[in-house]
Formats: sequence, structure tokens, C-alpha cells
Amino acid sequence: MPEAILSLAGVHTHIGQHHILQGVSLEAIRGRATVLLGRNGAGKSTTLRTVMGLTPASAGSIVFDGQAVEKARPHAVARAGVGFVPEDQAVLRGLTVEENFRLAMLQESPEAWAKMETIFELFADLKKFWRAKAGVLSGGQKQMLAIARAFVGDHKLLLIDEPSKGLAPIVVDHLIASLNQLKRHTTIILVEQNFHMASQVGSDYFILDDGRVVHAGLMEALVDDEGLKQKYLGIA
Amino acid sequence: MTGREPTPVQMERLHQRSRRFTRPGFLIQLALLACLIAGPLVMPSFRVMDLVAKIMIFAVAVASFDIILGYTGIISFAHGMFFGLGAYSVALICHYSQPVQYHHLLLAGVLAALISTVVAVVISALSLRVKAIFFAMVTLAVAEFCHILGYQWSSLTKGEDGVSFKLPGVFSADWSGGALWGTQINGRLLVYYLILVVCALLFVGLVRFVRSPVGRVLKAIRDNEQRATALGYRVFRYRVLSTVFGSLVSSLCGALFAMWLSYVNPDTVLGTPLMLNILLMVIIGGLGTVYGGILGAAFIKIAETWLPDLQKLALSLFPKMELMHRLAERWILLFGILYILSVLFFPKGVVGTLRDQAEARRLRRLGRP
Amino acid sequence: MDLAPDAGQAGRRWAARLAAVSIWLLPLLAIDPTTYLVLTVAGLAMGMLLFLTAAGLTVIFGLMDVLNLAHGAFFAWGAYAGFAVLNALNGLGWVETGTLGQGILSVLLALLAALAIGGVLGLFLERVIIQRVYGDHLKQILITMGASMVLAEVIKVLWSPNNQTVLVPLSFTGSYDIMDVVINKFRVVAIVVGLAVYAGVMAVMQKTKLGIIIRAGVENREVVQTLGYNINRIFTGVFMAGAALAAVGGSMWGIFREQITPAMGDENLIFALIVVIIGGMGSVTGSFLGACMVGLAFNYVAYLVPKLALGANILIMVVILFIKPWGLMGREQ
Ligand SMILES: Nc1ncnc2c1ncn2[C@@H]1O[C@H](COP(=O)(O)OP(=O)(O)O)[C@@H](O)[C@H]1O
Ligand SMILES: [Mg+2]
Repeated sequence: MPEAILSLAGVHTHIGQHHILQGVSLEAIRGRATVLLGRNGAGKSTTLRTVMGLTPASAGSIVFDGQAVEKARPHAVARAGVGFVPEDQAVLRGLTVEENFRLAMLQESPEAWAKMETIFELFADLKKFWRAKAGVLSGGQKQMLAIARAFVGDHKLLLIDEPSKGLAPIVVDHLIASLNQLKRHTTIILVEQNFHMASQVGSDYFILDDGRVVHAGLMEALVDDEGLKQKYLGIA
Repeated sequence: MTGREPTPVQMERLHQRSRRFTRPGFLIQLALLACLIAGPLVMPSFRVMDLVAKIMIFAVAVASFDIILGYTGIISFAHGMFFGLGAYSVALICHYSQPVQYHHLLLAGVLAALISTVVAVVISALSLRVKAIFFAMVTLAVAEFCHILGYQWSSLTKGEDGVSFKLPGVFSADWSGGALWGTQINGRLLVYYLILVVCALLFVGLVRFVRSPVGRVLKAIRDNEQRATALGYRVFRYRVLSTVFGSLVSSLCGALFAMWLSYVNPDTVLGTPLMLNILLMVIIGGLGTVYGGILGAAFIKIAETWLPDLQKLALSLFPKMELMHRLAERWILLFGILYILSVLFFPKGVVGTLRDQAEARRLRRLGRP
Repeated sequence: MDLAPDAGQAGRRWAARLAAVSIWLLPLLAIDPTTYLVLTVAGLAMGMLLFLTAAGLTVIFGLMDVLNLAHGAFFAWGAYAGFAVLNALNGLGWVETGTLGQGILSVLLALLAALAIGGVLGLFLERVIIQRVYGDHLKQILITMGASMVLAEVIKVLWSPNNQTVLVPLSFTGSYDIMDVVINKFRVVAIVVGLAVYAGVMAVMQKTKLGIIIRAGVENREVVQTLGYNINRIFTGVFMAGAALAAVGGSMWGIFREQITPAMGDENLIFALIVVIIGGMGSVTGSFLGACMVGLAFNYVAYLVPKLALGANILIMVVILFIKPWGLMGREQ
């Protein structure tokens, strides 16, 4: 029986006066990749940020791995096992690539460094620029660094927000391959506007609109459902 | 394009305008003005007149600070310095002009305005461009510099001793013009009325400024700088404008203050305590309200006047406790604690809180048909 | 300049360097070399003590985005704590009449007391007041200003509003005379301590995990949180460390000047602000350079035209703001 590693039930989020999430309910199954879809401003990023505790939920419940985390602060959510790759590839530009990774390792244990081997296999460039300031990396490399950094932190779930944004198609293909490798090690929730990437990586999907989940199902089914894609995603 | 029916917004404006002279606020202002005019004639007490004159001056100084802090969101620690520049302009010109004449006062006013404008433009051009918080740091440093300059440039300012001077003609302390309804008409009284007239004009000017299109842009910038920029406003220029205007008014207040005391020294018109007083007054009165300045200034000045009596009382109640005595001597400590508590728990001040309550009442009335 | 932004950048950098070097060398034209050396040592000593305050101010600003105007008050409290300890130890005969060992020990204890009081005050202020106003510059500035005033007043209540004379062990007074260059002993101590603190802070920032976390936090607080670090605890720790450094600086200042007043915190804050503006907010190295510039300029000018000493520093600040609005090492935001 598939088991949910993360489940949101009726989550509301307010930012200042604005009521952004208006009752989001969704589940991510352990070991699978779940994609959040929806047009700009639908509330996808806010959903991820609410799970992280960055924009705390004002109502509803969030359960991660059997723990209620809707009141937890970001660092506690991270320590519970959620890794986060924000929308704007928040690599720390003034730190070297190495320092970015050391920061991500809460304990600099041999296991963590062993994990780096997997990372170097997936993202060879990061090894090349090991001692360089992250600020000099290209957009694609920064995105790789951000994802790898979340992965090395020994998380049970990775939240990745629009990794393909602003990247060249060839880089996106590399990213797709890398994420499909990562899927074997960890559960992923991916926010993605690039439907090609979403369909290549995701197994399950949820479509958000105006702060609510309006549709959900299996990715295979969505790929062929032109009507749905037209209606919510504006893809012909 | 048929009729010229007013839009709802215009209707609302017309409605407000028609009520302009009947609103309770206006009546209160009228009553206040009447009291200020009649006060010294009805109740000739020097102590009260002194208190009221200082409250008037500080009310305007605080309101002008509110333009910078409350309406523009810029923290200037130089407001006291501009006050001092104005005060020293009057003091030095009157002191060094022999014999002192009326036009010297005018000259001093113009000089105060000129110097403060130039200094404010230079400071804001240098530091506002970067980040509003820079302005706080730079003004703090420059204000301290002026304070020290007041001490050390003693060939001009007479240093710590300060400058005492005479006012010209009918404003001079020795001038006397007989009695009116039993009240001595003398130089002090005329200076009081001069202060009243200038303060009233300045206050009206401040209120007009806030309600003008410029004032509305300033509020928009304060509330959302990015949006204002996106709408095409030159944020930097508006900030400079507001800072310069507020500083200019402050220097004129300083000029009035010097005239009232006929004396200035670095600590009273340039020092940190003055700046702290202005901060305290604006917080207590309420940021972004302009009128709060009146309440804040009145509260602090009255408290200052009566605190020595309170201290004596405290001392006589606890004659044995030495620590208690020292605490009572340090009334700035009490003000400081009051100030922190107001920033934390009463950030809107008296007028801001009252306005919120009135607004809530109005909404409730509207909600009930 | 829009066409060649890089050239403009480089030009500004060189102009800033030129300004820095000219502050250091220009006075040689007007001052004879022996006096110049004495003044240089005095200026560096003053710069080091300024650096102790400015370092905390700049890191607190960079990491927490808080302009802490109560930072000068920590300086004053450190001075009074050191003063109280030296007074108490003098009662044991350790200070004015003690041996060399006792003298050194009493100065160390005075600095330790300052460190402790700075840490405690920093903890209190951050937890009780500043944590309520994170993210609100206006309230921060208003409230730390108030805290600064209250802390200075409490000094007046506990000790006295007037100046106090600090008792200094004999071994720390007097001066070395090296070929007519008279160097006050405590100035040497100040320079050594300042350099050691700078080296220590830089080592922590560059080499340790804590340093990585702090530098990362200066750049992006949110990322640090989502990587699993409790940013509030780091804030408290950094605030305490900054306060403690300022307090140590204050107590050294007291021993150096042998005079302390409740207003010394405000004065020091002004200097530290100038240093931080010159150096660039958030940069430790910038503060170090800025502190040296301010200390040197103050001493040279004080010798040439005593009354313009502070004015010279304001002038330097204005010039730096003009050529590099973000300060020598500041990052544009
Ligand atoms: N800090 C904020 N303040 C106000 N509104 C916000 C803020 N952040 C996001 N929003 C609003 O919330 C809505 C959802 O945003 P977001 O979650 O970023 O959408 P998505 O990631 O699906 O494009 C948008 O309408 C956006 O304007
Ligand atoms: Mg988004």
C-alpha cells in the first residue's frame, strides 16, 4: 500500500492581508516524484514555502513522516528531513562551492562526504569548481548546486521549485536526467511550469489554481488529456 | 461624454469640503487658538506663558519631524541640529549686530532657512540615495559634529557659556507699552504673540503639505517603495524634498526658541537630549499624524515642568533610600523607559490610537444599515 | 560612465585606495617624522579600540539587518565594569602597589569582567527588546536609541554622573622610548589586542562552520534557516559576541585614558558609525580598515588643528560616501 510521506489537509496561508492558500490538500507518496502544476500565481511556491514554515500556515494540518509540522519553524522542518530548493536558486554566491556543501551538512560525517561521490557523478561540474565562489557558476550550475546541496543534507523529501526556470533546453535535459537519478534515493516534490520536464520526472501530479487544488492524478493520464492541460495549464 | 456628473471620489471630496468648517476637529482647533490668544491676557502667569510658548514651538518642531519620520519613513537624527542651527542664526546675528534692528530678525530667519536647506540637501543627496538607514547613521554623526562644533568654535559661539542677546525694539525684554485690561504689555508678551503667529502659520503649512499631492506621494513611497517607483515617481527626489522641508521648519522653530530664551548654548539647542525629547514627543503623540506633535510636546513639556516637584515629593516620602534619590534625579531614565515601552506597546501614539478607534467606530456604523 | 560600468567601478576603487593612502602619508608633509611615528602609533591604537566596537556593529548589521544604536552603551558598560574590578582589586593592594604579575592579572580580570557584562547585556537586549522588532528598521532604531539612553542613565545611577578616574597598574603606565619615539605602553597593548581580535574574528569567519553560517546568513537568512540552522540562536550568539567585544574595547579605552564618563558610549558610537559607514556595512575587514583610517586621521588632525579632529572624520566619511556609496568593502544591495 502506498504511504504518504507528506500530507497537507485544508491548509490556508495568509501573507500580510492577502489570503494566498485557501485550503490546499495534497499528498506525496514515499519514493515517488510528485509534480505541482498550475499557472503563474496559482500558489505553488507558497505551498512549498508553507511546508517549510517560511510562510506559516494560518489553518490546516501538515504531516511529514508522521509528525505534525504546521507550527514548526523552518530549521526544525529541515531537521525533520525536508530539503528545500527555492525558486531563485538561492546558492550563496559569496561562499565557495565547498562551503555551500559544508553548510548543508548538519554533521560533516563520513556518510555525508560519501554522498558527495554520488553528487559528483551526477554533477561533474561541481567538482571542477569546488574551490570557486558559487557566484561565478553559470545558471545551470547554480541550479545543480542548489539541488545537490539540498540532497547532501540527508533529507527524506526534497521540495524543488521550478528548477528549469531560465535554463537552456540542453541544460534542462541534463537536469531531467539528474533528477531521475535522484529519485532513486529520495522522494521529490517538484514545482514545474515546463511540462516536458514535469512529465519526464513526475509520477503523480496536483494542479493548483487560485490557492486550491483543482485536479490530481497520475502523470501518465495527464499527458494524454489535452482538455485538462488546455484548461489549467494553457498548453495546446 | 454627456453630463459632468461628479465621480464618487469627487462626491466624497465635495462632501468633506462642505463639512470642513463644521467638523469637530476644526472647532477644537479654533477653541485652542482662542485659548492661546486670550491666555496671557486672562491669566498673566509667567510660568504658564513660558510653558505654553515652549509647547507651541516644540509642537511644530515635532510635527515637522513627523513629516520626515512618520510620512516619509526616514529617520533623521539631525532634526535637533537643524533646530540648533536656526537658534544659533538668531542668537549670533542679534548678538553681533549693534544696535540690533528688526531687519536683523528677518535676516536671521532667512539665514536659518538657507543654511538648513543647504545642509539638508547635501546630507540627503549623499546618504538617501543608498538606503534610508544610511541617513540615520550619517545624520547622527553630523549632528554630533555640530554639537561639538558649538563647543569648540568658541571665537564665534562662545563655547559652553553660550550666547545671550537682545531682541530689537518692541520685542526687547526691557520694552514696556503700558497695560491692557490689567495686563502688562511688554516685550515678552509680544514675542509670545510672534511665536503664536509663526507657529500657527507653520503648522497650517505642515498640514497643507501632508494633504497636498506631494504628501500623498510620500505616503505611497513609505507604504510601498517599489510600487511607487513602478508608478514612475522619483522616490529619491520626493524623499529629499520632504527631508529638506521638515528640516527647514525645524530650523525656524529653533529660531523662535532662541528668541524666547534670548540665550542659546550648545547643550540646550544642539545636544542629544533635545533630539531625544523630539523623538519621545513624536512617539507619544503618534507617528504620521502631524497633530500628535501638539499632544506629545504638551505631555513632555508639562511633565518636565512638574517633575522637579514630583521628585521633591518622592524624596520626602522616602528620605532614607539613597538609590531612590538617585533614581529620582535621573528623570531621563524614566523618560527612556517610557519611550521604549511606547515604541513597543503603543506604537501609534495617542492621536494614532484615537484615529484607529474613530475609524473602527465609523466602519461599525457603516456596517449596520 | 554607463557605457563602461567596469571602468567606473575600477576608477572608484582606485579613488578609494588613493584616499586611504593619502590619509596615511599626507600628514608627513606637515609633521616631523618623530612626532609622525608617535601619532601613527597612537592612531593605530585608537583605531584598534574603535574596531572592537565597529566589528560587532557591522556584523550585527550585516547578519541581522539591525542597526544597534545601543552598541556604544556596551562600550561604556565595559569601561565601568573594568573600573569597578580594578577598584576592588586595588583594595587588595594589587593595582597601584602590586607586582607585575598582580598588575597583569588585574587588567585581565578587568577585561574579563567587561567581556561578561557585555555578553549579559547583549543577551538581555537581544532577547527582551530586539527580538520583538526584527524586520522593522524604524522601530529598531528608535528602540535601540532608547535602550542606549537608559543604559547610560543606569550608569549614572549606579556610579555617578561625573567622570571617574580609573586606577591603572604601574606596569601599564609609562612609555617606551625608542630613539626619541615615545610610545605609550598601553598603546602597544591595544594594538596587539586589536590585531589579535581581528585575526581571531577573521579566522572564525573564514575557517569555521560558525563562520560559514554567519557569512551565509549575511547573504541570505532564509537559506540558512531552510538548511536546518536556528537563525534566532545564531542572532543571539552574534549579538552577545558583538556586545562583549565592544565592552572589552570600552574597558581598554578606560585603562588607556584613565578617565571614564557615562557619555563615553555615545561618543564611541559616533566613531563606530563613521567607521562602519566608511568600511561598508557587514564587512569585518572594511571595519578594520575604516577604524585604522579614522584613528590615524583623528590623531594627525588633532595634532595639526586640534578642534577639527572629529570634523576631519566626518569629511572622510563624506568623501568615501561620494566615491563609494556602499563603503570601502560594502556590497551593493
Ligand atoms: N510576499 C507576498 N506578498 C503578497 N502577495 C504574495 C507574496 N508572495 C506571493 N504572493 C501572491 O501569492 C500568489 C501565489 O504566489 P506563488 O505561490 O508564488 O505562485 P506560483 O509559485 O504558483 O507562481 C500570487 O498571487 C502572488 O502575487
Ligand atoms: Mg512560483
